[in-house]
Amino acid sequence: MAKPILQVRHLVKYFPIKKGVFRKTVGWVRAVDDVSFDVYEGETLGLVGESGCGKTTTALTILRLEEPTRGQVIFDGKDITKLKRRDMRKMRKGMQIIFQDPYSSLDPRMKVKDIIAEGMLTHNMLNGRNVYKRVGELLERVGIPADYMNRFPHEFSGGQRQRVGIARALALEPKIIMCDEAVSALDVSIRSQIINLLKDLQNEFKFTYLFIAHDLSVIKYISDRVAVMYVGKIVELADKKVFFDDPLHPYTQALISAVPVPNPDYKKKRIVLQGDVPSPANPPKGCRFHPRCFMAMDICSKVEPELVEVKPGHFVACHFYDKKGGNS
Amino acid sequence: MMAKKREKLLEVKGLKTYFFTENGVVKAVDGVDFDVYKGETLGLVGESGCGKSVTAFSIMRLLDYPGKTVGGRVVFEGENLLEKSEDGMRKIRGKDIAMIFQEPMTSLNPVFTIGYQISEALKIHLHMNDREAMAKSVELLKKVGIPIPEQRVHEYPHQLSGGMRQRAMIAMAMSCDPTLLIADEPTTALDVTIQAQILELMKALLQEFNASLIMITHDLGVIAEIANRVAVMYAGKIVEYSDINTIFHFPLHPYTFGLLTSIPRLDVELKRLDAIPGFVPDPLHFPKGCKFNPRCRFATDKCREEEPPLVKVEEGHLVRCWHVDRVKEEVKNGLLVGV
Ligand SMILES: Nc1ncnc2c1ncn2[C@@H]1O[C@H](COP(=O)(O)OP(=O)(O)O)[C@@H](O)[C@H]1O
Ligand SMILES: Nc1ncnc2c1ncn2[C@@H]1O[C@H](COP(=O)(O)OP(=O)(O)O)[C@@H](O)[C@H]1O
Ligand code: SF4
Ligand code: SF4
Ligand SMILES: [Mg+2]
Ligand SMILES: [Mg+2]
Repeated sequence: MAKPILQVRHLVKYFPIKKGVFRKTVGWVRAVDDVSFDVYEGETLGLVGESGCGKTTTALTILRLEEPTRGQVIFDGKDITKLKRRDMRKMRKGMQIIFQDPYSSLDPRMKVKDIIAEGMLTHNMLNGRNVYKRVGELLERVGIPADYMNRFPHEFSGGQRQRVGIARALALEPKIIMCDEAVSALDVSIRSQIINLLKDLQNEFKFTYLFIAHDLSVIKYISDRVAVMYVGKIVELADKKVFFDDPLHPYTQALISAVPVPNPDYKKKRIVLQGDVPSPANPPKGCRFHPRCFMAMDICSKVEPELVEVKPGHFVACHFYDKKGGNS
Repeated sequence: MMAKKREKLLEVKGLKTYFFTENGVVKAVDGVDFDVYKGETLGLVGESGCGKSVTAFSIMRLLDYPGKTVGGRVVFEGENLLEKSEDGMRKIRGKDIAMIFQEPMTSLNPVFTIGYQISEALKIHLHMNDREAMAKSVELLKKVGIPIPEQRVHEYPHQLSGGMRQRAMIAMAMSCDPTLLIADEPTTALDVTIQAQILELMKALLQEFNASLIMITHDLGVIAEIANRVAVMYAGKIVEYSDINTIFHFPLHPYTFGLLTSIPRLDVELKRLDAIPGFVPDPLHFPKGCKFNPRCRFATDKCREEEPPLVKVEEGHLVRCWHVDRVKEEVKNGLLVGV
């Protein structure tokens, strides 16, 4: 069994809701609310869920780009939640993030070579002379000709900019890369190129991915294990095959059944959920899914189900996970 | 689903819409042909920039400067819409042909209540009085699954969630019982469970109203779910056109083929995505010959010189490619056999 490279324990992130001239805190957005999971060395853990469920906030608090409200993040054996800013900056070399929007995450005034070199210089990985040679190698590796390094981000297409973002992350030789909707904004044909690139790089460099996406088809293709979030909580986590073939949480079942499949003969029973996703500023009592759940019983609106390991490696947060729901 | 006797509702023939920009002429839609039959759903699919929205706006005659339809015909119920007066078009828009957008706020006005906006259309097109129009608005909101419609009619668009706004826009589109609905990426911005709700709703309404739909999307999953026939667009032209089963199981254009083997999907386990190399060409610098040639693994010198026409390979299946026979060889047992 591989060892965990990242252990997230009871992670909580609340954002204050402020009102009035005195900016008084009148409530809290419970963006991430007691989230625990492990990521094993060399694997890809997919994190899926609908918008606003807390995926990005989870990644940002792990990196301490947002300070966690509570909880622990253990990276490579070290509790990084206690680290001072300066030590955290060093630690972050090993944990890179790639965002959805390469436009906003690349400084438009910097040449691509300096964008990629910046991290290597800060961390004294290479000196000024050798760094651009390395930039050239990195660009070639992600599929961009080395002599494009003197260009600015706006001279690249969306897909190429995402490649630049990948090169920048690669430069620091990270142990884990968090991809936050890294392929979501790309067009179909470009998206598959980038997915293939991410997979090839992982094979070559053996790093770990926390792969965040709302698209279940992409998650299924790229992940080894999958966790699904709903209103700030993980409600199910399992090996990819189990997750897609035998999901136990009613929300997971509905989510999978909602995905349109590019095959007109693929007929499966769709579970259409009623209503909208509730706001994390005012989550339903008990099980947060209960107002939309087709299996809900009295207890569901009162008692919050814990995320428990119901089979080895299969975690579910539902009072009735063993009552096969949906179609029966 | 499919209408029994196929009566043509809309015929688009040789449609050309260009944008006359400072940098040159953008041939956004460059000779597009398709038909829509009564009661059917035609899917219009392709990656961004291929000309889907411009096609829709050209049909509705809603183009803004510097866009201009410079050629072709759009025959709707026997009349060429491109020759109609603006007044004549206004009688058709929102009545016989209605449009649904990705962003509901494109057609909902933020300063009027939902009920007011639906009522307006009913008063103008169906000559209802205030009371009738309001009652009908409530009924429509109920039909599209908006809870407490009596209350919702008095609310403003921003008071509704994204999914509910999309429903309100659909109610408005259906209000005058259109024969043709054009939906431009209506579920693209929505979360997957909300998308499922809206797709189910649209399917039910199409049945009930016996309306035809042009479903514009980049999502082949959505197409598979809702369309009877499909037109695949690439760089301003239709490259393949057929019934839904043929497109998904026996595609004959290398681009369609490439799209289908490159996407991750829930129904089959793919070892590797067969990504299409390169990128969609810039419309100001289209390659010579077949516009797909720089990305096509079947390309030959002929493809680099001469643009292929859209030709019939079988009844109801049209393909724009010089080398259909070679693609046919690869898909003869069905696209997903052996993956
Ligand atoms: N800086 C912030 N201040 C206040 N609320 C925030 C902030 N960042 C995120 N949120 C809220 O936290 C919730 C989770 O957001 P996010 O993590 O971005 O979700 P996801 O990435 O799954 O779409 C949302 O309701 C969002 O509005
Ligand atoms: N106002 C405009 N000015 C110039 N070019 C435009 C304009 N609107 C659209 N285009 C061009 O027309 C082409 C087709 O656009 P569109 O129909 O919106 O694509 P799709 O809907 O398939 O994503 C694109 O290349 C786009 O850049
Ligand atoms: S705990 Fe109850 S409401 Fe929540 S998912 Fe399970 S059955 Fe549904
Ligand atoms: S005409 Fe040639 S380049 Fe174009 S799609 Fe066919 S084989 Fe490919
Ligand atoms: Mg996010
Ligand atoms: Mg469009």
